[in-house]
Amino acid sequence: MKNVKISSSQFLVLVTLFSVGTSVLIVPSALAAKAKQDAWVVAIVSTVIGLFIIWLFCLLAQWFPQLTFVQMNEKILGKWLGKVASLLFVLMCLLYASTLLYYSATFLNTHLMPNTPMAALNILMVFVIVMGVRLGLETIARSAELLIFWFFFLFILLLIFITPEVKVENIQPILESSPKTILQTSITLLEVTAINAIVLLMIFPAFINNIKQAKKAFFIGNLLSGFIIIILTFYCVSVLGVYSTESELYPGYELAQRINIGGFIQRIEAFMAAQWIIALYFKTTLYFYGAVYGFAQIMNLKEYRSLTTPFGIIVVVLSLIIYPNVVYLQDWIATTGILFSYSIGLFLPLLLIVVYVIRKKLMKQI
Amino acid sequence: MKKCIFGLLILSLLLSGCWDRRELNQLAITLAIGIDKVEDEYQVSAQVVVPSVVSTTSTGGGTMVTLYSARGETIYEAFRKMTKDSPRKIYPGHTRMLVVGEELAKEGIAESLDLVSRDSELRPDFYVVVAKENTAVNILNVTTPVENIPANKMFNSLKMSDNAWSGTKSIKLDELIEDLVSEGKEAVLTGVEIAGNQEQGSSKQNTESISPSARIRYDNLAVFKGDQLVGWLTEYETIGFSYITDSVQTSVKAISCPNEGKATIEVIQAKSELKGKIKNGKPVVNIKLNVEGDVGSVECKMNLNELKTIHSLEKIYEKEMQDNIKKTIATLQTNYKSDIFGFGEEIHRSNPKEWNTIKNNWEEQFSNLTTNVDVDLKILGTGTIKNSLLEKIKD
Repeated sequence: MKNVKISSSQFLVLVTLFSVGTSVLIVPSALAAKAKQDAWVVAIVSTVIGLFIIWLFCLLAQWFPQLTFVQMNEKILGKWLGKVASLLFVLMCLLYASTLLYYSATFLNTHLMPNTPMAALNILMVFVIVMGVRLGLETIARSAELLIFWFFFLFILLLIFITPEVKVENIQPILESSPKTILQTSITLLEVTAINAIVLLMIFPAFINNIKQAKKAFFIGNLLSGFIIIILTFYCVSVLGVYSTESELYPGYELAQRINIGGFIQRIEAFMAAQWIIALYFKTTLYFYGAVYGFAQIMNLKEYRSLTTPFGIIVVVLSLIIYPNVVYLQDWIATTGILFSYSIGLFLPLLLIVVYVIRKKLMKQI
Repeated sequence: MKKCIFGLLILSLLLSGCWDRRELNQLAITLAIGIDKVEDEYQVSAQVVVPSVVSTTSTGGGTMVTLYSARGETIYEAFRKMTKDSPRKIYPGHTRMLVVGEELAKEGIAESLDLVSRDSELRPDFYVVVAKENTAVNILNVTTPVENIPANKMFNSLKMSDNAWSGTKSIKLDELIEDLVSEGKEAVLTGVEIAGNQEQGSSKQNTESISPSARIRYDNLAVFKGDQLVGWLTEYETIGFSYITDSVQTSVKAISCPNEGKATIEVIQAKSELKGKIKNGKPVVNIKLNVEGDVGSVECKMNLNELKTIHSLEKIYEKEMQDNIKKTIATLQTNYKSDIFGFGEEIHRSNPKEWNTIKNNWEEQFSNLTTNVDVDLKILGTGTIKNSLLEKIKD
């Protein structure tokens, strides 16, 4: 378990898939709701801010190149306080793993399989996730390397096919929203792309064979996913118009529905949905891995694999009971979820950095 | 162990299935949906393909489609009630036309559009039309020759006339919704009517004579204000509308000759550009229309070999087109006070700040709006002959 190492290019793939994750399906709608036709500007702004947050993560990682985030907590905050912080972190991972399960199931339920019970969909998904996590990080990374090709293939196909439908008038006038609205809206996007990437500190730097290169990969992966989100948001608003983008639950899917090349290439949205399922799978898997591995380290277990099955069951049950409906989910994400994410993903690392610097200064004085 | 897993994998290939599977013989494939309002209730009708007739090559058997219809307090309720009558569940995934009755359109169409955009089985790529002075049920109750499925006939003929004549406007559901919610643009829909004897229209015999006693025909453009139908545009005005909104692909236009008689210009390409401005605090819209065309027919005496004649034809066309556009705008400004051209949107795009101050009384601003129309025609060819045979005929 200690000798597991992944390469920086594998890490790059994981970062990209993680940051893209849910965003491609739902983010354009959340952004357009507030920033209207400037939604894509928000995506640019938050990608830039996101790089600062990644820089923060890298700073922490540099100081402790052998430790995972959970171990860092204990090292800096002390044994008991550190364990409490780590427990909160594990709780967040667990919660988001089940949230994502709920996401993918509601997506399939609303658009593709309206009468299939959610439990059936979630159990199938968790089965594959548990299998991946049991097989270990190296297997996950390698399969991500294989599948990202399909992700990009489908994404580029979508872009090529939908380009004829673009209406530039839909995004005009550019920059009508005030800078304040743009910044406020970017908080939502930052949460899913950068703040929650704290989970990746369970892999980086402890299981990376070349930290310097992996640091670069962290930035590039985040930029790449930011780029994907910017383009997708731009296409959503310019093809669907502001109203449809903000009122659709899954504007990305709606985008694929609009594909119609000469009455010949059309109705391929279910095919296109594969790319979102790929991204969702890896994001959920990484959350789940963070929860299981983090918990194992808190409890000082030698082997994390025995935890996968019970945690898998917990995640399935959670995903079925925490959100009674989609409206509740959206409300929760906009209020509680965002605070929770920011306190674990931004406040906690900041706290760690401050405490570490103070302790170092104190040590020098003595 | 390995053998066991291998066996499971093979089995999963064979035994896999889908929870939500629905076989083709359980579906009633609907190609056209009609919505009417009858005494506080919605009446939904669905034109459903009869598979057994479509699949046989012989001309025997009844009509290609059948019509189910049901009433309910909401549209969705009426939709599901149709199963009382239909042996299969209505499957609207292949809908091509949505027909709205005129009565309903006058009351407002927004409520009806909610279901069609909320339901996951419907795709927003079908055309929406209004049944002029009629109900949607009656429109869907007419058989058609050439295209045996009436919904297909309606779909193709709307597409064709939009493409080649521009006196109609094909509007898909997503475009309609975008127009309805947009500030500074009102919606329009093409009207559809029955020409001839409506009672005989529904039988198969209708299509068996050379000129059917009832036909479905597109005419006029319905003008909306908010989501309510407020009036109809004539064909002349509809053409003006198409030119202003840059939706002309090809068209023809009859113009008067310099002396007397008529000539036709075949429009190959038309491009219009709207530019919104604020001048002295008042909105102004400049319309620039660039047209390329051929001389399509000459029904008067003139010498087409001279460049002068071509120039004068261009001038006449430009003048008449300008009149056409101006008259169209005037009708909407005075009669309907409805900005179907999207002038408001254009001003929003070019002057977002000023738009915020004028958007609240846009209706009034629109009816006093100054527009400058500039038409430019380039005649590229004269068809396969030069001078008209009329030149050679002695009086």
